[in-house]
Amino acid sequence: MEGLYYGWQAVTSMPVLLAAIGGVTWGILGGALPGISPSIAMALLLPFTYNLPPLVAVVLLASVYVGAEYGGSIPAILIRTPGTNSAAATVIDGYEMHRQGRGGEALGLSLVGGTIGGLFGLILLSTLTGPLASLALVFTPPAYFALGILGISIIGSLSEGALLKGLIAGVLGLMIATVGTDPISGVSRFTFGNPDLLEGIHFILVMLGIFAVAELMAQAGEERWTEGTKPKTGTTRLRLPSLATLWRLRRAQGIGCVLGAIEGAIPGGGGSVAAFLSYNEARRWSKEPEKFGKGSEEGVIAPETANNVVSATAIVPTLSFGIPGSNSTAILLGGFLIHGLQPGPLLFTTNPEIVYGLFGGLFTANILMFLIGAVILTPCIWLVSRPKPYLMAAIFGLVVSGVYAIDHSLFDLTIVLVAGVVGFIMRKFGFPTLPLILGLVLGYMIESNYRRALLITNGDHIVFLQDGVSLGLLACAALIVGLSAMREIRRMRNPIKLEEAPAH
Amino acid sequence: MISKIKTALLVGLTTAGFLAQPALAANYPHKTVKLVTHSSPGGGTDVFLRELIKHLTPITGVTYVVENVRGGAGAKAIAYLAGSPADGSVFYGTTPSYINTSLLSKPDKTYEDLDPVVNLFQDPQIVFVRADSPYKSLKDVVEDAKKRPNQVRVGVSTPGSLDRQVMEQLKAETGTEVTIITHDGGGDVMLSVLNGTSTVGIGEIGELRGQLDAKKIRLITTYTDERLPQFADVPTAKEQGINLVVRKFRGLAGPKGLPRDIVAAWEDAAQKVLQDPKFKAVYEKDALIPSYLNQEQYGKFLAGFAQEQKAFFTKYGITAE
Repeated sequence: MEGLYYGWQAVTSMPVLLAAIGGVTWGILGGALPGISPSIAMALLLPFTYNLPPLVAVVLLASVYVGAEYGGSIPAILIRTPGTNSAAATVIDGYEMHRQGRGGEALGLSLVGGTIGGLFGLILLSTLTGPLASLALVFTPPAYFALGILGISIIGSLSEGALLKGLIAGVLGLMIATVGTDPISGVSRFTFGNPDLLEGIHFILVMLGIFAVAELMAQAGEERWTEGTKPKTGTTRLRLPSLATLWRLRRAQGIGCVLGAIEGAIPGGGGSVAAFLSYNEARRWSKEPEKFGKGSEEGVIAPETANNVVSATAIVPTLSFGIPGSNSTAILLGGFLIHGLQPGPLLFTTNPEIVYGLFGGLFTANILMFLIGAVILTPCIWLVSRPKPYLMAAIFGLVVSGVYAIDHSLFDLTIVLVAGVVGFIMRKFGFPTLPLILGLVLGYMIESNYRRALLITNGDHIVFLQDGVSLGLLACAALIVGLSAMREIRRMRNPIKLEEAPAH
Repeated sequence: MISKIKTALLVGLTTAGFLAQPALAANYPHKTVKLVTHSSPGGGTDVFLRELIKHLTPITGVTYVVENVRGGAGAKAIAYLAGSPADGSVFYGTTPSYINTSLLSKPDKTYEDLDPVVNLFQDPQIVFVRADSPYKSLKDVVEDAKKRPNQVRVGVSTPGSLDRQVMEQLKAETGTEVTIITHDGGGDVMLSVLNGTSTVGIGEIGELRGQLDAKKIRLITTYTDERLPQFADVPTAKEQGINLVVRKFRGLAGPKGLPRDIVAAWEDAAQKVLQDPKFKAVYEKDALIPSYLNQEQYGKFLAGFAQEQKAFFTKYGITAE
């Protein structure tokens, strides 16, 4: 097979290997630093790739992507701050495990889950690019709308014990998503004449505020916080899950693999939606759903597997249509274009050495991700067990400098700080914050595609039921909402459980 | 932390530039010149500028760095340029959005706070359909739309784009009711046409190259003054009696008060780079139309363009004036 030959050639070529090592290392670091998303980590490296051979350049960029999608979970688990959007779901159980002194275990789960997810995605990418590419074509505006609704439908289960407050937070997120330029007419909305608001409020900023800044505020407000909570023994080292543990978690991983594969192949689906949906499904299919939110292993491995599957399958629409589905793949596309490579159906025949070489490079990158992760995680755990005041000052400094460095914008910083205060207040009053993030992430997708779908039919809502994909997704959403409602009713009849409900 | 990395990057790039310094270095007062774009890395203008500087360096003997100043649909980049020294060390890669953003969102600094320098290209705007579509020309589209009002769906990139404007104008000029579906970018329009959400799409050759070569989509009309040499059998809208021409320009602007000799150096370099055979091969592939304008001509062109845009926005009730 010609493909295997090119792939093997890439794996054994020194420059490609070096690119994969450098890319993954930089990616993990970039992903782990709050404020630096995978796309920014890639963008910072882009200028270095101009003078590299094309294959080395694209492998370098793709390796950064793989590493960064994984790296985001390190701070999500250790400091309750997702380094990337798609690590937001990992915060829930990962940080809880860390608080229980099981941080090393949580990191091990996310590393192994991420590696398995990455390799699974890569197998799909290299064998099924054709069929997966057609998935992107199946997704018309009604289907995207339904996908957004499906994402929103898990708000109920993210706000256990406080459904009403969860819904309020979700609506707040949707409202923030309407700020900026109207996606259909182009009129600016709720910008109060401020050009900084024209492009809307970016959710990574809100997320950093609501997770990181609010967490710092909450911790600083604790009594005798300077003494800190010394992690229990056994947490200072990375602990990889045993094969038996992995076998026990196979269902959660399988869910992450399937949902990640689908979300990745749909342009605009994205890692965060995949991670949240996987988290929700993993809980629904779990034998121990009550552990979710309280340090469930499944709750860590499902989203972590999913977001790394996405980092492979998201390359499908980029390679086969030349359509980047996310900021990160847009930069990867830029890397192709700069070297005169035109992604599209013909790339596989005109430049097979690049396509299959990229697959080979990605394989190497995933293996390296595991090795490099295993080496650097123990020092990371050590780092976050330093005395709290130092640690928190450092985190705050990182968040602030990271955000400022992206676009040199004081306005962005203001958004982060305001979101921090809002997040702090929400926590004080027992409002779950994840629904707000979900509403903000999905609001644009839902609104713009709802309106596009209605444009197609001149205002007839039947289109959402006529489109098969849309119908199926909406049915799933109805099912999820129905089940959450039932759970809520049961909870109301049995109020003792309410006390145990964790406040996220 | 990141800014340190950025500085390191800059230093690295600059050093690399010195090593490759060509013999014919002109007497430009700066060794490194920054080209600012509001496009994100890998985006249209970003890729264009990075390609441009590859060919510009050997001609001028200057090292160029592309910097992405994103945000506010270009408003931030304009403000950044307006506050930069007018000494030839920093320029802005212009596209129509720098005028549109100035007119629509009325930021503190607008295109009028910058000096035009030179224009390099016009991007041909094209109309495309799926390969199996019955439409052969824009006329077919208009006739079908007359027969079936609101049934023909045209995909355009963003709500504020020139492709959207030209379709609104088409509706007005031909008295037809077509449905205009805005997207988040050119790539999305292509998918939308491929999967049948839109029956017709408006876009640029560069974005469509892969699908055009694979014969999945077909061009039916160009919104240019003349036919494109690369697509000689595709008629212009004008030929079909629809008087619409899109003037999507790509040029450079700088801070106000640029010295005459610096502008002259750019006018000279721009003409040379457009003649460069290697650069020609690249831009002809994407059917970019070389359209050199010196500072005076470019200034007049931009003023006229802004006037047209203002009239459009007022006519369609987008801005009140």
